[in-house]
Amino acid sequence: MFKRHKSLASERKRALLSQRATRFILKDDMRNFHFLSKLVLSAGPLRPTPAVKHSKTTHFEIEILDAQTRKQICILDKVTQSSTIHDVKQKFHKACPKWYPSRVGLQLECGGPFLKDYITIQSIAASSIVTLYATDLGQQVSWTTVFLAEYTGPLLIYLLFYLRIPCIYDGKESARRLRHPVVHLACFCHCIHYIRYLLETLFVHKVSAGHTPLKNLIMSCAFYWGFTSWIAYYINHPLYTPPSFGNRQITVSAINFLICEAGNHFINVMLSHPNHTGNNACFPSPNYNPFTWMFFLVSCPNYTYEIGSWISFTVMTQTLPVGIFTLLMSIQMSLWAQKKHKIYLRKFNSYIHRKSAMIPFIL
Amino acid sequence: MAAAAATAAVKGNGGGGWLVIAVGLVRAYLAKGSYHSLYYSIEKPLKFFQTGALLEILHCAIGIVPSSVVLTSFQVMSRVFLIWAVTHSVKEVQSEDSVLLFVIAWTITEIIRYSFYTFSLLNHLPYLIKWARYTLFIVLYPMGVSGELLTIYAALPFVRQAGLYSISLPNKYNFSFDYYAFLILIMISYIPIFPQLYFHMIHQRRKILSHTEEHKKFE
Repeated sequence: MFKRHKSLASERKRALLSQRATRFILKDDMRNFHFLSKLVLSAGPLRPTPAVKHSKTTHFEIEILDAQTRKQICILDKVTQSSTIHDVKQKFHKACPKWYPSRVGLQLECGGPFLKDYITIQSIAASSIVTLYATDLGQQVSWTTVFLAEYTGPLLIYLLFYLRIPCIYDGKESARRLRHPVVHLACFCHCIHYIRYLLETLFVHKVSAGHTPLKNLIMSCAFYWGFTSWIAYYINHPLYTPPSFGNRQITVSAINFLICEAGNHFINVMLSHPNHTGNNACFPSPNYNPFTWMFFLVSCPNYTYEIGSWISFTVMTQTLPVGIFTLLMSIQMSLWAQKKHKIYLRKFNSYIHRKSAMIPFIL
Repeated sequence: MAAAAATAAVKGNGGGGWLVIAVGLVRAYLAKGSYHSLYYSIEKPLKFFQTGALLEILHCAIGIVPSSVVLTSFQVMSRVFLIWAVTHSVKEVQSEDSVLLFVIAWTITEIIRYSFYTFSLLNHLPYLIKWARYTLFIVLYPMGVSGELLTIYAALPFVRQAGLYSISLPNKYNFSFDYYAFLILIMISYIPIFPQLYFHMIHQRRKILSHTEEHKKFE
């Protein structure tokens, strides 16, 4: 862009020169043809002077400083009014190739919040020169990758334990005892749960924020994989004890599990509808589907149904480690639900306050 | 203001408590003539005052004390675990010398730490106490850790024999817990955690003691 400035200026100079040359000739007819020809030749290509358009849109100039060293990294100019932070990050990457757009966090001031990608420059600019601080956020991973890794792991790990690989369990014990049908049912339910998650991640969910640090991927994978191994070890153990109340307990909880899974699925489909994603979410309204009637009572029925599934699974297998896992997941999900509930309350004035965040009438 | 006064009182009490333990140790040593099996003479005050340190976590959570909640709760929990789940539960271990090792290390550390806090709250901190707090740990910390590890190691065979705190399959809730394996896991966890805490303290030392020296130079 800088080079173009230079060429424009020199072009203007040459154009002016040529104009002066023609005036000379008019005043003093053919004074010196040689002189004239020299001038014309040295003046370069004769072009009409481009009219300098005073554009109505002002261009911004963005100065990007390193957040830690406060040194200037580069200056981006000719940034249009309607550009967003996302465009700025792309330009920044073109100017300085080692700053990848997904790894850069831009702040208005050091220690301030990171600016989201959809924010326009116009809304944050105080003048035509904007100063932003850039931080390297470290290795980033897309949310889709995180979800896929998180959910494929448990699926495969549980199956490994189900197949009773000799190095985990004692071979002779495993061969001797017949397995109670609930063990097969538990494997089936567990697989359905995670296959549904995977399919929803691939085809249903629309993820708004693009990336997350690598550390999050590792921690959440460790949590899910670790707990699934712990659970699967006990359920598929040769010394597994079936539930105390027998078939009644198993069938009731299995039916409950399926109901909650269906409910969760329908809610997710509804939430991914174009009107309801991102920050322009208007609150989804219940329709003819009975599973969506939970929306009357609760802000985040997807979490309600998920907790329901896990509680049914716990009751079905009557295994304490599953109960511990359910408890931890419930705590985590209730925190997320509270946050979302507060956002809804703040955003929608006509929001019905008698709704609870996750568990009807209680939480 | 009231909170600060209350905290100063609690810290003073805590420091007093550990002084009681120190005095108890010395008296027992002089009475018995040997340093073996001194645990029994200070058993009750030790349990009382170390368990009372759980309040510290509360103090950090409320914000009266500027230390981090995670680090403090970690340290307090590990100490409480050692006193109740290892030394108290496995009676055969109580006559070991390693118990004396960590009790002495804790006593000296705690007396210095509590007086540091008390004097800080009264805004009259002698340099000697600050120096002691940030220097003596270099010897006391490894001493305490060795005492703890040796005690846990000594407790292992008794835990295995008695099946202490362990649940095995099959049972109604399909759960099992092996306390022996758990203790071994704890011993292994000292390997990554101890160097981190140790070097964190050394880093703190360099920061705080050099800061004070600079202040002195300008005065």
